[in-house]
Amino acid sequence: MVALLVRLKLTLLRNGLRRSVWRTVGLVLGGLYALGLVGGVLAGLVALRWTSLEMTADVTVLAFALLGAGWLLLSLLVFGVDETVDPAKFALLPVRARELLPGLLVAGAIGVPGAATVVIGLGLLLAWTRSVPLTLAALVAAPLGVLTCLLLARAATAAFASVLSSRKFRDLAFVLLAMVGAVLAIGGNLLGRLAEAGPERLRAALATAAQVAGWTPFGWAWALPADVARDAWGAAALHLVLALLLVVALWKAWEHYLAARLVEPVEGGGQAARAGRSGWVERLYPATPAGGVAARTLRYWRRDPRYLAGVAGFVIAPVIMIASSLFDPDGSWFVPLLAPALLGLLVGASVAQDLSYDGSALWAHITTGISGAADRWGRVMSSLTIFGPVLVVLLAVAVLLTGRWDLLAPVLALTLALLLGGLGAGAFVGSLWQWPAPPPGASPFQKGSSGGLPALLSFTVATLGAVVVALPTGALVVWSFFTPWVGWLAVLVGLVTGALALRVGVAQGGRLLERRWPEVMAAVSENR
Amino acid sequence: MSPALALQGLTKSFGPKRAVDGLDLEVRRGCMFGLVGPNGAGKTTTLSMATGLLRPDAGTARVLDHDVWSDPAGAKALMGVLPDGVRLFDRLSGGELLHYVGLLRRVPPADIASRSGDLLEALGLTADRDTLVVEYSAGMTKKIGLACALIHAPRLLVLDEPFEAVDPVSGEGIRSILRGYTASGGTVVLSSHVMELVESLCDELAVVASGRVLATGTIDDVRAGSTLQQRFLDLVGFQASGEETLAWLRSSSASS
Repeated sequence: MVALLVRLKLTLLRNGLRRSVWRTVGLVLGGLYALGLVGGVLAGLVALRWTSLEMTADVTVLAFALLGAGWLLLSLLVFGVDETVDPAKFALLPVRARELLPGLLVAGAIGVPGAATVVIGLGLLLAWTRSVPLTLAALVAAPLGVLTCLLLARAATAAFASVLSSRKFRDLAFVLLAMVGAVLAIGGNLLGRLAEAGPERLRAALATAAQVAGWTPFGWAWALPADVARDAWGAAALHLVLALLLVVALWKAWEHYLAARLVEPVEGGGQAARAGRSGWVERLYPATPAGGVAARTLRYWRRDPRYLAGVAGFVIAPVIMIASSLFDPDGSWFVPLLAPALLGLLVGASVAQDLSYDGSALWAHITTGISGAADRWGRVMSSLTIFGPVLVVLLAVAVLLTGRWDLLAPVLALTLALLLGGLGAGAFVGSLWQWPAPPPGASPFQKGSSGGLPALLSFTVATLGAVVVALPTGALVVWSFFTPWVGWLAVLVGLVTGALALRVGVAQGGRLLERRWPEVMAAVSENR
Repeated sequence: MSPALALQGLTKSFGPKRAVDGLDLEVRRGCMFGLVGPNGAGKTTTLSMATGLLRPDAGTARVLDHDVWSDPAGAKALMGVLPDGVRLFDRLSGGELLHYVGLLRRVPPADIASRSGDLLEALGLTADRDTLVVEYSAGMTKKIGLACALIHAPRLLVLDEPFEAVDPVSGEGIRSILRGYTASGGTVVLSSHVMELVESLCDELAVVASGRVLATGTIDDVRAGSTLQQRFLDLVGFQASGEETLAWLRSSSASS
């Protein structure tokens, strides 16, 4: 059964790769990235041999406990129940959960994250082979720890399968994931401040964190060699017992929930979502095809988790830029003032991915024969509706916080040029390249990273286009540092060049779209 | 009088596989026309090329004298389309989706409102007007798609598998809508692989297999004295398997 499931997983992986070149490229890139990461971690583990036992203990316990927590978090938020070898698919076969477990466990370890975890887990030996007892402890800890990571992910997804597969949760998870990214960014920021406060405080914080992590379930196994290194035999015995019990408990729990799923496959359920019938969104725009597209995309900004995560992602970067300068009284006025311009650029360029997000639902645009310009213009309108006010607020906050009213004109000029130029470039680039994006609510990682590269390419080109449009404005902004009134000239130039770029981008993008509708349809619906 | 839909020499290959192979078809105005064929016969590919969703390798498609590929705006304005196997803008509610398609079709807002009410009522979706389409069942999704195809009062309806997953009551509702529509001069082209349905609903049909039209004409012409089911099986070349095949399957009930 183990061999059968492993072969199934490998076949699925191979067929998936065969279907799309992008997916192969994605896997290779993911593999290279993981290889770099694993190499770095292994090098770090080797380097630990030249530090004190105490240091090695603290670093390994904290890092490996975080690895376990990461498995739990990512499997719940990202992978959800979209496992390649989904247990529910075995519901029709006469197999028992007990027979499936070992095979599913091994199959789960196949793939980039699983392989990387196994190698990193075994890397624990590199740091600890300093004496016989330490080597023995690490030899016990590494497999236990890796097993805990894999089992945590399996047991948790099996237990929460019904919750995870509900549409509401998947929508929420998408946004939560964006939040986790933000928290990590802010956490990194805090760590940087801690490091500035002095190495002793950093060292003390590390010791405390490692102590706490060692007594969480994620750290029980990994703390074993650390205890041995400190000659804390009581703690070592306790950690070993706890780790063993955890593995057994997770195994039993997984078996229990898997057995439940085999007789009751999970269907996405939950309360049917309803929309209000106010119609105020429609009243914002004229009753034309372009107005319809604008109203529809505006609703999607609110209801589609992919757009929501986008909003979170866009807004977080500038907010962090402003917030981190708040904590830093003698920081530069430069960074927060750039925030509105950066947001304008991101928002503009993001129009380029709209068609791909629509997926095969685009048939409604194609068969109704709306003009390409109406499609482009509608999407631009809804972006402006949402982010226009946000930009005004951000601009006001940035200027208020820094007190540099004299720089209002140059910042406004850059923001206008980048926003409008980005929308224009995005409207054109969006007609040029499309890719099959996972549908709203699906896990973004479900289909490998297909779309990753074209998406990146399109975003990069749209961003570059916006920057090119903003070049004259940028030149005037630099001039305004020496001759302040030129700043207002820059506002005028930014507005005019941006509006011009937008006009050209919408018209040319629309024309391109009308010529390419069937090709666009084929590009976005590859994995329907 | 020009036909409602005229396809000439339509050809489309996907890699080495020729999905549609020089297909010719003519549908007269006011006709309820059925397109039948086994799975993989090229029905969906043909209808996609007739509605502007898929570019043919060769051949032409004309809708009431407007060429779909050289005068797309003119042809598309006359057509109402229900494709199969594609997503809808399913984060809109049923009512919002209808309103959206109405706007794309340049239907005046007042007409959109009154027609939406009528269509949702006729299709039994009034209670689910404000439910997001993503929450709809397969049959409800078909029905809201049909409503979207009808909102601009088209002259020609192109429906891919319109009865799939639709319950019998709603199915009868759809039939009466379609019958009324053709009685008033509209034309319907629908694909299906349910012979009984086509036999009872359509005036004319075409049997398609391997991307070609094998037979076309009125129902009576095509069935030629036999049943439509039998004629269809003859045309696509089905041979009932003999006694020997799957012999092991027969023994399983006796041995247990």
